[in-house]
Amino acid sequence: MSGLLEVAGLQKRFGAIVVADDVTFSLDSGHCLGMIGPNGAGKSSVFNLIAGTIAPDGGTIRFEGQELGRLPPHLRARRGIVRAFQIPQPFPHLTVYENVLAAASFGAGRSGAGAATAALDVLATMGLAAKAGVLAGQLPLLDRKRLELGKAVASCAKVLLLDEIAAGLTEPEVEELVALVRNLKTSHAIIWIEHIPHALRAVADRIMVLHFGRNVLEGRPADVMTSRLVREIYMGFRADDVA
Amino acid sequence: MTQIRWRALQAVAGLGTRRPGRVYRWSIVAVCVLAVIVAPWVIGEGAQRFLSEAMLMLAMAQMWNLLAGYAGLVSMGQQVFVGLGAYGLFFASISLKVAPFWVLPLAPLLCAAVAAIVALFMFRLREAYFAIGTWVFSEVVSLLISKTERLGGERGVGLPTARLVDPRWLEPLTFWISAAIAVASVFGTYALLRSRVGLGLMTVRDNDVAAASIGVDVWRNRFIAFVIAAAGCGLAGAVSFTATLYVAPGFAFDPNWVVAMMIIVIIGGIGTLEGPILGVIIYFALRETLTVVFGLSAGWYLIGLGMVAIAAILFEPDGLWPLVRGRLGGDWLSVRREPPTPPRIAAATAAAAGVRSSPHGLGATPGDR
Repeated sequence: MSGLLEVAGLQKRFGAIVVADDVTFSLDSGHCLGMIGPNGAGKSSVFNLIAGTIAPDGGTIRFEGQELGRLPPHLRARRGIVRAFQIPQPFPHLTVYENVLAAASFGAGRSGAGAATAALDVLATMGLAAKAGVLAGQLPLLDRKRLELGKAVASCAKVLLLDEIAAGLTEPEVEELVALVRNLKTSHAIIWIEHIPHALRAVADRIMVLHFGRNVLEGRPADVMTSRLVREIYMGFRADDVA
Repeated sequence: MTQIRWRALQAVAGLGTRRPGRVYRWSIVAVCVLAVIVAPWVIGEGAQRFLSEAMLMLAMAQMWNLLAGYAGLVSMGQQVFVGLGAYGLFFASISLKVAPFWVLPLAPLLCAAVAAIVALFMFRLREAYFAIGTWVFSEVVSLLISKTERLGGERGVGLPTARLVDPRWLEPLTFWISAAIAVASVFGTYALLRSRVGLGLMTVRDNDVAAASIGVDVWRNRFIAFVIAAAGCGLAGAVSFTATLYVAPGFAFDPNWVVAMMIIVIIGGIGTLEGPILGVIIYFALRETLTVVFGLSAGWYLIGLGMVAIAAILFEPDGLWPLVRGRLGGDWLSVRREPPTPPRIAAATAAAAGVRSSPHGLGATPGDR
């Protein structure tokens, strides 16, 4: 096994609460791993562990064959592990262009004209070119989500950690976002936490179910979504009981 | 309220409404430089001293603006560097037996070194805790010096080496150096913000978590800003106390230093380079009006200034510069990054306006078609 990102036996607990219990998976470029599970199952914590904002109690995260250890978040970002937050986190007092330029400068380590060109390319890809000069704080929600993805792409991300980026969007907007993510999948490895089933099914190659910090199930989207276990976890009772 | 705002705007913005051109700007710069050079022969000693004070205050305010407005570090203990700069200069000058101006570079170096060490501890604190931490640090240093007889204790020390400077040149030299420091603080900060570090700083100010997640070294960016601001305040503080020829802990580490920096930046406009310039003019105009015209004592004029600052926070939290910048030809010192190829953006804008995908209808003005 030699995936781009290999997570093995990841452990993390906060006091009595276990947020990651032997989480193991592997991911390659061009693939999208969906991650589902009830609130508090540890999905965001797994992202925090991979992005480096919290340190694991045990287990390993290998990226491009190298153990990440205690590498701080900004250095992981420079290597290519970039997350898009559930609530978009633009730099509100900078313009859309400057937001992406900063990502191209620091995340991707470009400078001068190279950074500027990269930033413009990303804006074009994300459909934000016309809003280059708008302050990021003034963007409507869908554009904020686009910008959030744009920053990640401009950072030359290899692994994109997408945290419920479709939340709060209208149905047609979700469609647009799904198209965007599917487009990004061709050149990135993606882990996508999402509560909207059809969005995940449209993009994910595999889906992993987290429950109390454990990955209890992993498989093809159709199989996972229709599985008895998933229904039990989400409904909170054993499927046999009602049958 | 609206009326007051409008009058203030008219008063400050009565200078002109056209956007100044390049030649216009450079001629202003040339006139200013010339004015500063000849000023000591034209204006009296009192006016020189007053202007020196104002220009040094501008430099300090600009440093505080760099910290709070661009690095997201609200320091309430910036006076520690004002005091350390002064003490550093005094003791370097006295022990080396040289004129104070020769050892001036030592003051910012000392402050930078102290800031670099203090940052290791202070940066563990965030937001209000950082503000309190820096303030406590300043008080501790002040107390330590006042308890140390070798450093003059509570009584402070004089500057006998000032005699090594020709007394006729003491005042003009202070004036020129103050002017140079003020200009350096404005354009130095401008250059810093235009640089790569500056872009990083602005992302950190806006959102430090998001900044780290796109690869910005948050700690390093803040560290650079903190060290520069310490050096700047140290330099300005050193010159300020050279002018008074006497330093004591009560004056050097007076929290009023940072209060003045704060008031100036808030009134003028935090997070803008022009704000502190505007703020310093308003601050000193108010101070002179309250003390000279209305004859208020020291305590009362501070109360007056405090009320103005509170009013500014309540009614114009972004300060006055954003209100008047349109009248003064936009940002004179813009740190905005513009995309390099305007035709491409223009084409994209046109395309977007054509399909009307933009909810704001950007670029579509009435009568467009």
